[in-house]
Amino acid sequence: MSRSDVLVDAEWVEAHHGDDGVVLVEVDEDTSAYDKGHIRDAVKIDWRTDLQDPVRRDFVDKAGFEALLSARGISNDDTVVLYGGNNNWFAAYAYWYFRLYGHRNVKLLDGGRKKWELESRELVTDVPHRASTHYTATAQDSSIRAFRDEVVAAIGNLNLVDVRSPDEFAGRLLAPAHLPQEAAQRGGHIPTAKNVPWSKAAQEDGSFKSDDALRTLYRDEAGVDFGKDTIAYCRIGERSAHTWFVLHELLGQPNVKNYDGSWTEYGSLVGVPITVGDAS
Amino acid sequence: MSSDGCGAPAGTVVAATDAGSQAIVQGKVTQNGSTVLTGYARLLNSGGDFVAEVPLGADGSFRFFAAPGTWTLLVLAPGGVRAERTVSADIGKVTELEVAV
Repeated sequence: MSRSDVLVDAEWVEAHHGDDGVVLVEVDEDTSAYDKGHIRDAVKIDWRTDLQDPVRRDFVDKAGFEALLSARGISNDDTVVLYGGNNNWFAAYAYWYFRLYGHRNVKLLDGGRKKWELESRELVTDVPHRASTHYTATAQDSSIRAFRDEVVAAIGNLNLVDVRSPDEFAGRLLAPAHLPQEAAQRGGHIPTAKNVPWSKAAQEDGSFKSDDALRTLYRDEAGVDFGKDTIAYCRIGERSAHTWFVLHELLGQPNVKNYDGSWTEYGSLVGVPITVGDAS
Repeated sequence: MSSDGCGAPAGTVVAATDAGSQAIVQGKVTQNGSTVLTGYARLLNSGGDFVAEVPLGADGSFRFFAAPGTWTLLVLAPGGVRAERTVSADIGKVTELEVAV
């Protein structure tokens, strides 16, 4: 896996508008952004209503993912190009879903919606019609998803990368600064975790930093041991999906998992160790 | 308002009038007296590191729930527009600012 396999730029998107077998999908943190304007022919996935189980705290199951992609007119062989706002935060989360359920050809638009908008490229409000398909997902790929017991077992053994802001890492905030402060029962971080805020992987326009800059950030500055397996977490597993993309898809680290339970689960567990305070 | 996710509130920001136990920083972005409809507001900590970012609402508005302290607000908009403001946040207070770019 390398950068050219998993990222496309705006010129690529404009050159492939209308191609059979290429589907643009917008996934935004602000789920109303699509309705105000989107890239021509893009369909929308709502991370909250489409990707989450409506009752339990979990993802849509395999059948639900199949129904979603079938309804959006996405086939197993299609090249899916995901994009969204806020440095592709939620697009990267959706990318991880597509990989989790075995979609072969999925990419991110580098820089996402923000870079596209800041470059004053075309946005339309027309919603495309795509004929429904019969999408078939694979079973979840457990090699990229971590659960709480393996996170506890990883303390002091594997790389734990906490991708939240320094204030959340230290325990001063329980949620990102653009959200109300409601979350886990306790603040702080998982002992031995390194703090590399997810956004450090992106440049100001939302595109990813170079591979060299990313290696420097994680390995040389934060001390992530590239010889060990890694688990990334944030508050509910969305920002850490972005970091998973960087470590696993861009830098080609072989064993990287996203812990989607993240701090809202870990910080509410009874009896697990917690460290408070800034990174040393 | 999302209560279960990292997600931002959907749609236009509804200005807060009572901060409760929050430290709210909110405001509006204008250009030549008109509302800026397309753009982004980001909050940087005192070390210059990114903390959060929101797209501007339909009325050019933004809102952050910060921790007490001094922050930098950075506004990005098409045409290479980039504006920075220093702002302080306090618990129980709504700090309002208008950013003319």
